[in-house]
Amino acid sequence: MKFKIKFADQIVGLFILVAVVFFAVIVVLIGANQRWFAKDYRFVTSFQSATGVAPGTPILMKGFTIGKIDELKLNADNAVDAKFHIYDTYYDKAKEYSILELTISPIGLGSQLLFHPGKGEAALSEGDFIPTADSLEGKTIIEQELVEIPPKDDTITRLLANVNPLLENVNKTVITINRTLTEVNRALAGQSTGPLGNIVNDASAAAAALPGTMGNVDAIVADVQVRVAGLLDQVSSLLVEFEAISGNLVATTDSIRDPTGLVPKLLDAGGSIKTFLNDGNALYTKVMSIIGEVEKSVKSLQGIVTGLNGEMPKIAAVLNETRTAIQQAQDVLEGVRNNPLIRGGVTERVEQQSLYRAMREGSFE
Amino acid sequence: MITALGRSAKLKASSLLYGMGFFYNVLKETARFFRRSQVGYKVLIMQILFTGYEALAINAVMAIAIGAAINVIGSSLLPQFGQSQLMYTILIIVITRELGPLLTAFVITARSGTAIATELGTMVVNHEIEAYLSVGLNPISYLVVPRFIGVVVSMLVLTVYFNIFGLLGSFIVVQVIKPTPILEYLTSLLSALSVGDVVSGLVKALVFGIVVSVVSTYQGFSVNRASTEIPVAGIRAVGLSFILIIVADIIVTLMQYA
Repeated sequence: MKFKIKFADQIVGLFILVAVVFFAVIVVLIGANQRWFAKDYRFVTSFQSATGVAPGTPILMKGFTIGKIDELKLNADNAVDAKFHIYDTYYDKAKEYSILELTISPIGLGSQLLFHPGKGEAALSEGDFIPTADSLEGKTIIEQELVEIPPKDDTITRLLANVNPLLENVNKTVITINRTLTEVNRALAGQSTGPLGNIVNDASAAAAALPGTMGNVDAIVADVQVRVAGLLDQVSSLLVEFEAISGNLVATTDSIRDPTGLVPKLLDAGGSIKTFLNDGNALYTKVMSIIGEVEKSVKSLQGIVTGLNGEMPKIAAVLNETRTAIQQAQDVLEGVRNNPLIRGGVTERVEQQSLYRAMREGSFE
Repeated sequence: MITALGRSAKLKASSLLYGMGFFYNVLKETARFFRRSQVGYKVLIMQILFTGYEALAINAVMAIAIGAAINVIGSSLLPQFGQSQLMYTILIIVITRELGPLLTAFVITARSGTAIATELGTMVVNHEIEAYLSVGLNPISYLVVPRFIGVVVSMLVLTVYFNIFGLLGSFIVVQVIKPTPILEYLTSLLSALSVGDVVSGLVKALVFGIVVSVVSTYQGFSVNRASTEIPVAGIRAVGLSFILIIVADIIVTLMQYA
């Protein structure tokens, strides 16, 4: 009998058993890989829109999947409530002030849901609310730097992170302008009850009251004209007096400007100063003679000084010789005094250099 | 013409009803099969041996070849689009969900479907069925049910093997072309693989096994008296099985993704 036929039961049993074992192993491996047997910690959050997120969307932290989105639901306030879980291995990252950030690629490369751990010490409890970065609470946490937000990985995302707030501001500004324009239009149409509407209504009432006001103004102007007429007469008389004063001033000015006036008379050739100086040059001659004498004295003094300068070497030599003679005399006297026959001989003298030395006497050291 | 058309429609409807009744009887006898201690058990073992075990080699070769092809194509093409990680998803979809059960069903149809149809057809021509009836044996419970169970079990087991060879065996082939760490490969593969994928493949295998076995046995019993009808029954069994397998594949896939 053929081997296969003889051991058909064993072969078929092994054939099925191996398949069952493989199947069981695969299922267990899938379960282990997909965390069927691990504990997950569940949290809730809220998104403004579900665009970019779906059940099963991974939650990333520094490139690692630390959890997944479980459920999304549109609530009564038109926000999206989301339930998600964090793996037990990363539960210690879920600290106080943690936030979620949804980044969507503008060039269609998908979206990423990022988890940023808070800097708080307290660990979040299961079921706690974790805000998103674009929510009011999330923005407050970011502004207060209570959360660790690493720099974005790619340039486009970094640029977008900067551009998005700008766009939001621009959008807000445009919306505000639109609202303002709408309010202005409504106010101009008389439909607004706000401050602008009140102003426009007041302006309309003021414009309606303007003709009456103008009539009053006309009456006041007529009254003022009557009163001003008397004042004008007084002003006219004052002007006449001013005219007379001006005439006198003109005369005075003319007299000053006259070449035969007071000042020219004091300064001209026949004036008092000229008369004082006009003495036949006696004063000038006297002054010049004094100066000549002074000049002569200076020249004499200069000659004396020059002679002295010429005699200075001779004087110096005489003085030196005199000094030498005095020293020799001193030595003789001292020698006499110290003579052993008389008193102990002559003491050796230390040579004293001349205090005065000409340039040529110096050595060129 | 209208008369012929009407007669044909009547014949088709009658045949369909007969086939449904046949299928009902097979299911009914299958439910009773394991409660009975009968010789059918030996037939079942032999059926699994011939349909499952003997088809393992060709099944494995096919699985490894297709898995390796997907690996090579995916690892060279997908990085150009920055979607390398999709290689594992594609591998799982093709091997586990689609081609695994489908190609296994085709192999079993080609090998065992024709064999069952011709075997039963020969038994009909040789009046063996009448002999079974004359001694009080139900040919469905003794001849059809072991083949039905055997084909279905073989189909399920071969699908599991196809997955193993397709997903893991192809890895060995890929190592020759593009070495990849086994741990990285397995981790990525298991991250992309879900129980839904495996169950989906097994559901298809179950359906295809039922289709192949019922169609083959039905076609075998459809032989009347001439031996020339036997190969015709085999051809019909293969053709009809292929059509019904593809239709069933579409229906099951639509049900899974609906």
